[in-house]
Amino acid sequence: MTIDRARFEQGLTYAAFKAQMTRNLDRVEENERRVELRPEDVAAFRGLPRPVNVVVLAEDWCGDVIANLPVLGRIAQESGRLNVRVFLRDQNDDIMQRYLNQGKYKSIPVFVFLDESFRELGHWIERPASVTELRAERRREIFAAHPEFGAPDASVDQLPEDVRGRLQAELQKMRDDTTSFANAEVIREIRDLVTRVAA
Amino acid sequence: MTGAAPPRVKITYCAECGYEGQTLELARALMLEFGSRLSAIELIPWDSGTFDVSVAGQLVHSMRREGGFPDYEEIKKAVRAHLTA
Repeated sequence: MTIDRARFEQGLTYAAFKAQMTRNLDRVEENERRVELRPEDVAAFRGLPRPVNVVVLAEDWCGDVIANLPVLGRIAQESGRLNVRVFLRDQNDDIMQRYLNQGKYKSIPVFVFLDESFRELGHWIERPASVTELRAERRREIFAAHPEFGAPDASVDQLPEDVRGRLQAELQKMRDDTTSFANAEVIREIRDLVTRVAA
Repeated sequence: MTGAAPPRVKITYCAECGYEGQTLELARALMLEFGSRLSAIELIPWDSGTFDVSVAGQLVHSMRREGGFPDYEEIKKAVRAHLTA
């Protein structure tokens, strides 16, 4: 499977992807507002010698897409150097098969960076490992502080509904509290990747 | 059959992973197979890649533990075992 210009142009622009979303648009737009792009980050992307084409695999139900695609969207918007086209994962399995996480998982979002001749420069999958690690640590702390939540690996279906609700609220607060870190890590990883290979 | 109390089946699914289709498919399979011999089928939206199924409080499938989605026949077997216990 190769992506040429004709295939690339079949993808949705970021705005068109948002326009066809059937859920979570409010969360995407809220995340867009929360992204803090530093002047030096914008300058790094604006300084790219040539625009970079970006193939995105996404779906509107996916939490990592809702969290991380808006970061890419803001970078593209403010730098003017990324041409983003979004492909729905479940309608573009030929692309998905090429970018399976660990060779087997259809994790999204996937960002594939291509030069002006559509040669791949690199790709990025799902979320930064540093974010996964931080949230796992915070999750362990929540369970340690709240014995009523049971064991971290136990199924939540055995918890009373009110306890399950409190756990859900604690986990959501933890994700909110770590969003700034997560967004900064996404920006850092994409910036490192793109500026290293496209400079 | 000895008339064991109808069990409650709980399906806990990741609502941020696109698992709604598998959740509804399993729920439908159980509805069609057991009808009123189930006291309830409870669908619990969760996150973190979860797909857990419990029958009468016993966890019979966990995506984290077993990997992947359950074989529906295995879930039906667990329900039958409870009904005939």
